[in-house]
Amino acid sequence: MWKFPRTRYADCNGSEASKETEIAVNIGGVKRILYGDVLNRYPETRLAELVNRSTNSTQEDLSALCDDYDELKREFYFDRDPEAFKCILELYYYGEIRIKRGICPIRFKREMDYWGIGKEHLNERCKSNLNDRETELAKIVERAKGILDALKEDVTVTRLQRCQAFLRKLMEKPKSSLAARVISVLSIAFILLSSVVMCVSTIPELQVQDAAGNLMENPIIDCIETTCIIWFTVKYILRFFCSSNKLRFLISFLNIIDFLTIMPFYIVLLLGSAMMGLGSVQQAVQSLRVMRISLRVMRLARVFKLARHSSGLQTLALALKFSLKELGLIFLYMSVGIFLFSALGYTTEQSQPETLFTSIPQSFWWAISSMSTVGYGDIYPQTTLGKCNAAVSFMCGILAITLPLNLIINNFVTIYNKQYELEITAKHEIELMALHAEDEAQECQEAGKMPSAASVSNHSVWDSAGVTA
Amino acid sequence: MDKPSAGMSKVGSRSTASLPPEPVDIIRSMSCYRRVKLNVGGLPHEVLWRTLDRLPRTRLGKLRDCKTHESLMEICDDYNLDDNEYFFDRHPGAFTSILNFYRTGKLHMMEEMCALSFSQELDYWGVDEIYLESCCQARYHQKKEQMNEELKREADTLKDRDGEEFDNTCCSEKRKKLWDLLEKPGSSVAAKILAIISILFIVLSTIALSLNTLPELQDTDEFGQTTDNPQLAHVEAVCIAWFTMEYLLRFLSSPNKWKFFKGPLNVIDLLAILPYYVTIFLTESNKSVLQFQNVRRVVQIFRIMRILRILKLARHSTGLQSLGFTLRRSYNELGLLILFLAMGIMIFSSLVFFAEKDEDDTKFKSIPASFWWATITMTTVGYGDIYPKTLLGKIVGGLCCIAGVLVIALPIPIIVNNFSEFYKEQKRQEKAIKRREALERAKRNGSIVSMNVREAFSRGAELLDVVVMDKGERTQDNHLSPSRWKWSSKRATSETSSNRSFNPEQGSPSKARASSPQRLNAQKLEEMYNQMAKTQSQPNLNTKDRSTSRAGHRRDEIELGALPGQGGDPLNGGREGVVDMKSLSSIDSYISCATDFQENPRFPYSPAGGLSLPESSRFSHSPGSGLSGRVSANPSLQTTLEHETMLTPPCSGAKPLNTDGSRQQGLLMNSQKIYAVRVNHRNCGETSPSGGPLSDSSILSDHSILSPEVSVYTTASSRTPPKTPEKKAITPAVFTFHDASISKYIDADTDDEEHLRESGPSERLLGGLSSKPRLGGYQGTTNHLEAAQRLLGQNCLFPLGSSPSVGHENHVASENSRRPKGDRGHSNAFDKGL
Repeated sequence: MWKFPRTRYADCNGSEASKETEIAVNIGGVKRILYGDVLNRYPETRLAELVNRSTNSTQEDLSALCDDYDELKREFYFDRDPEAFKCILELYYYGEIRIKRGICPIRFKREMDYWGIGKEHLNERCKSNLNDRETELAKIVERAKGILDALKEDVTVTRLQRCQAFLRKLMEKPKSSLAARVISVLSIAFILLSSVVMCVSTIPELQVQDAAGNLMENPIIDCIETTCIIWFTVKYILRFFCSSNKLRFLISFLNIIDFLTIMPFYIVLLLGSAMMGLGSVQQAVQSLRVMRISLRVMRLARVFKLARHSSGLQTLALALKFSLKELGLIFLYMSVGIFLFSALGYTTEQSQPETLFTSIPQSFWWAISSMSTVGYGDIYPQTTLGKCNAAVSFMCGILAITLPLNLIINNFVTIYNKQYELEITAKHEIELMALHAEDEAQECQEAGKMPSAASVSNHSVWDSAGVTA
Repeated sequence: MDKPSAGMSKVGSRSTASLPPEPVDIIRSMSCYRRVKLNVGGLPHEVLWRTLDRLPRTRLGKLRDCKTHESLMEICDDYNLDDNEYFFDRHPGAFTSILNFYRTGKLHMMEEMCALSFSQELDYWGVDEIYLESCCQARYHQKKEQMNEELKREADTLKDRDGEEFDNTCCSEKRKKLWDLLEKPGSSVAAKILAIISILFIVLSTIALSLNTLPELQDTDEFGQTTDNPQLAHVEAVCIAWFTMEYLLRFLSSPNKWKFFKGPLNVIDLLAILPYYVTIFLTESNKSVLQFQNVRRVVQIFRIMRILRILKLARHSTGLQSLGFTLRRSYNELGLLILFLAMGIMIFSSLVFFAEKDEDDTKFKSIPASFWWATITMTTVGYGDIYPKTLLGKIVGGLCCIAGVLVIALPIPIIVNNFSEFYKEQKRQEKAIKRREALERAKRNGSIVSMNVREAFSRGAELLDVVVMDKGERTQDNHLSPSRWKWSSKRATSETSSNRSFNPEQGSPSKARASSPQRLNAQKLEEMYNQMAKTQSQPNLNTKDRSTSRAGHRRDEIELGALPGQGGDPLNGGREGVVDMKSLSSIDSYISCATDFQENPRFPYSPAGGLSLPESSRFSHSPGSGLSGRVSANPSLQTTLEHETMLTPPCSGAKPLNTDGSRQQGLLMNSQKIYAVRVNHRNCGETSPSGGPLSDSSILSDHSILSPEVSVYTTASSRTPPKTPEKKAITPAVFTFHDASISKYIDADTDDEEHLRESGPSERLLGGLSSKPRLGGYQGTTNHLEAAQRLLGQNCLFPLGSSPSVGHENHVASENSRRPKGDRGHSNAFDKGL
C-alpha cells in the first residue's frame, strides 16, 4: 500500500541506495510496515528515532522505546489513536499533515506532540483552525482562572484583608449576596436618577432666578445631584480601598469613567471656594457659572456608568473595539462621499440665484444629512442636476454605511453569542480541573502504594513529555 | 478486517455449540496477554490492559475484573479467548474518541457526531460527560441543548395532538367535530370556508373602524358631539356578533377550558370583543348627563382598543405568529436595542443642547426638548422641524446619524436570527410530523425500504400525467441548437429523474430508459440494426424488425419537431421522459430505481473499465461525460450553467460535424466544468456535513487528479454538445442512493431539494474513487447503455455477436451524421457487450 508514494518520493533525498530498514509498528491495533529512509526525512520525530535506535539496540531498550514490543514479529506496539496516526504518517509521504475531519484539532495536536511532530508541519488551513481553537481554549482557561481567583479569597491573613475581600465581594459581585444585589440595584437607580436630573435641570421652566436675575438651578435638583455625587464618591472610594492592585484600578476604563463623573462636581466646589476667598462674590459667582456649564458636559459620562451593569453595553464596546478598522472605513467612505457630493452639489446649484448651497463647507452639512438618509430639509437642491446628484448621494450613502457595517455587525454577533457560551464552558473547565486534580491525587496514592512496574515509568517518560509539550 | 471477523465466527460457534469457558481459562487469558483486542462494531482496536485500568469504574475498566463467563457477557457482547478479543456491538466512531480518553486522559468528541448519540455512547461505556474537554464541550453542550429542546417541542406537539381528548363529557363526538371545524382550517373544506369568512369579517370590521373617523361619515347627536355612522354601527354589530359566536363556540368545544382561556390567541379574541360590550354597558347604564363627559372619555379609550382585532389575523397567518414568537423570544435583544437607542439619544441630545443653547431663537431649549431631535436623527427619519445650526451642532448631528445607524443595526441580526430559526423550526416540525407518519407506516408494513418504494410508486402515479409538453421542447433543444444546451441540460435532469421514479411505477426494470437517446438515434439505430441483422441469429432479427419500425416512427416525430409520443409502446420511454423535475426529484424515487439497477444482470459490464482503458475511451463516453456531467446535473449549480452559456455561442457557430473546432470547445468546456466541480466541492463540504465520511477532503484530491481523464473523455463526447447533458444527468441521484446510508432514505420526506444538493458532492466524490462504490454508482450511467441495448434487442445475448469493428463503423458513421450522440451510446453498448 505504501509502495506507491515511496517510489514516487524515493529520489527526493537521494537515499535510494541506502540500506533499507524496516520496522513493523502496531498503533492501537492498526499495523503498518514503515521504512527507515522515509521516516528519516524528519529525523527529529519520534518514529525516526525509533527506526534509528531499533537497529542497534538490545531487547530491553527496544521495549523501552514503545509501549509494548513483540519479539516474535519484531513489532512495536504503541498505545495511541490509530486514526490520528494515519494522518500523521502523511507527513512522511507528502510533507504536510491534514487533520482528518471529525477529529478535534486539540486532540490531534496532542497526538502530534506525542509523535514529536511540530505544529509547522500542519496544513495551512488546519493550522489556522487549530490556532483558532487554541485561542478559544486560552480564553476559556483565562475566564476559569478568573472565577477560581474569585473563589480563592478565603485564605486571608489579616483582618484588613478580610475586610477588603468582603467589601470587594459586596461591590463587584452583585450575584454573591443579597446585600450586594441591593447595592448594585441602588447604584443603577442612582445613575438613572442623576441622568434624569441632568436632563430636567436644563428645562427653563424648572430653573429659578437668583438675586442677580440669572437663571440658577432648582435647589431641589441641586440637592438630588449632590446626593448622587456623594453616593458615587463613596462607592468609588470604597472600591478603590478594596482593590488589590491600586494602579490597575485607576487605569481601568470603567473606573476612569467613574472618576470623570464625580470629578467635575468637586472641581467646581474647589474653584468656587478658592475664588470666594480671592475676590469679590460677584466675580466668583460669574466665573463659577461658566465653569459649571463647561463641566456639566462632563456629567454626561455618568450614562456610561451603566456599562458596568449591562453586559450588552460591554459587548457593544468590545465589538467596537474589535472593529475599529471597519469603523474607520465607514468614516473614510463617508468623508470621501461628503467631499465629493458637497462639491458636486455646490457646483450644480450655482446657477440657482437663491441657492442654499453658499459654499462647499456649508454644503458639507447637506451632504451628511442626505448621505445618511436623514434629510432635515433645511438645505435642499433646487436644480434638476442638483437633484440628480442628491439621488446618487443617497445611494452612495447607504452603500458607504452598510458595507462596513456588515463587518461590524458580524463582530458584534459573534461576540454576543460567545459570551454566554464562554461562561458555561468556563464553569465546566473548573469542574474538569477539579476532577483531574481528584484523579491525580488518587493516582498518587495508588502509586505510593505500589511503586512497581518499571514499564509504567518507562512509558510515562514519553507520555509526560507529550502531555507537558 | 478479515481476522476479527473470522474470530467472531469462531466465537459464535463457541457460544452456541460448546460450553462457556472456565473462569480459570478467562483469568489465564487475561494475564498472559499484555494487550487486548477490542472489536467495536467491526472496527478492531488493540490496547494495553494497563491503559484500561486507568479508569476502573468504566465498562472497559471492569472488563479486567471479570472472572466468569456470565460477568464477561454482561460487559461485552461477545468474546474470544483464543484471539484475546472482545466484541462490543456499538458505534465504532464514538468508541475511537472514548478509547482515546483512556490513552490520553482527555475526552474529545467526534466533530460530526450527533450529540445525543455521543452522550448515549458515553453512558454505555460508563464515562461521565463532565470529562469532555473544554474545546469540545461548548459545541457538545450547544448541540445537546438544541437537540433536547427540539425533542421536547416535538413531544409537546405530540402531546397536544394526543391531548385533545373529548371523552370525558357529553357529546364528545360533536364537540370534536366542532373543534376541528373551528381550529383546524386544513381539516376540511367547511373549516377552510369558515376560516376565510372570519378573515373577511376581521378585515371588514377594521375598515369600518377606520371609516368611522372620517368627518364626512360622522353624525352629530343631540349634544353636538360626533357619533358613529348608523350604517357602520350596524356593520360593527354584525362583526362583533360573529366574533362573539366564534369565540363562544370555540370555548364550548375546547377540550381544556382553562388552557383555552389562557392561550394568547384567545386572549386577543376576547380583547377584540370586550370593548364593544363594555361600551354598550357604560353608555346604557350612565344615561344621565351628569356623568356623561367622564363616561365618554372611557368609551373613547375602549374604542381605541377595538383596533386590537387586527391582531386576530394572527390566528390565520403563521407569519404573524412567528413574528410574535420571535419578539417574545428575543426580548433580551430588543431590550438591548432600546437601551442602546436610549443611551444614544441621551448622549447626543445633551451634546447638541450644549452646542446649540446659545444660539438665538434655538429650538433646543432643554435636553428633554432635544430628545425628539436625537430620536429623529438616530433613526434617520429627519423630519426637519428641528435641526442644528451651529458648526458644533452640525458635527454632533453627523456623528449622531452614523451612531444611530450603527446602534440600530447591531442587535437586529440577532433578532433576525431568532426569527429565521423559528421559521426553520416550524418547517422542520412539519417535516418531523410527516416523517413520523411515514415511520409508523413503515412499522406497520414491517420494512422501511418497502415503504419508500411504495411512496415512490404513489408519487410516480401522481406525476405520471403531469407534463407532456416539455418533451417537444426538449427534443428541439437537443437537436437544433447547441446554444440552448443550458436548458437541455436542466431538462435532462428532469427527464432522468423522472425515469428513475418511473421504473418502479411500471414495475419492471426493463422499462427504465432514457427516452432521449432513443429518439435521437433513430437513424443510427436503423443502421446498426441492419448490421446486426447480419451477425445476429433469428430471434434477434425479430426484435430488430420491431425496433426498426419503432425507430422509423420516432424519426418521423423528430422531423415533425415534436412531441409526446408512443404512449402505447411498451419499450418506448417517451412518456417517462417528460415529467416536471422538481416534483419528482425525491429520494424515494432514487431508491426504487437504484434497486432496479442492482437487479439488472447487465450491470457488470460497466464503466470502471470504460474509464481506465484508453481504447474504450472512444466508445464509452457516457462514463466520462457522466463524470463531467455531474456538474451540470446538480440543479443547484448555477456556475456551470453560466459557463456553458458563455461557451455556447462559439459552439453553435461550429457545426456538430466540425470535429476539430468543437473538440476544442469541448476541452474548454470541460476544464470549466471541472473548475466548477471543485468549487462545488468546497461549497458542499461546508454546507452539508451530512455528506459524512464520504465528503472527506482527501477524496477531493483524488477527484481532481482524476479530472484530466475526465476531460479527455468528454472531449470526444462533447463534439456533439447537445448529448452530454442527457447522459450525465442520470448519474447523480443513483449514486447517492448507493452510498448514503439507508437511514437517509428514511428521512426521505425531508426537503427534496436539499437532498439533491447534498447528494451532489458525495456522489461526485465517489466518482473519484476507483473502487466498488463507483461500480455501483455507474449503474446509473449504464442505464442509458442498457436502454440502448434494450432498444436494439432487449436481449442480453445480442451484444455478444457484435465485434469491435462494428462499434468502430458506427462511430465513424456517427461523425458523419448530424446526431452522433445516440450512436455513442450504442457503440458504447457494444463495447460493453464485448
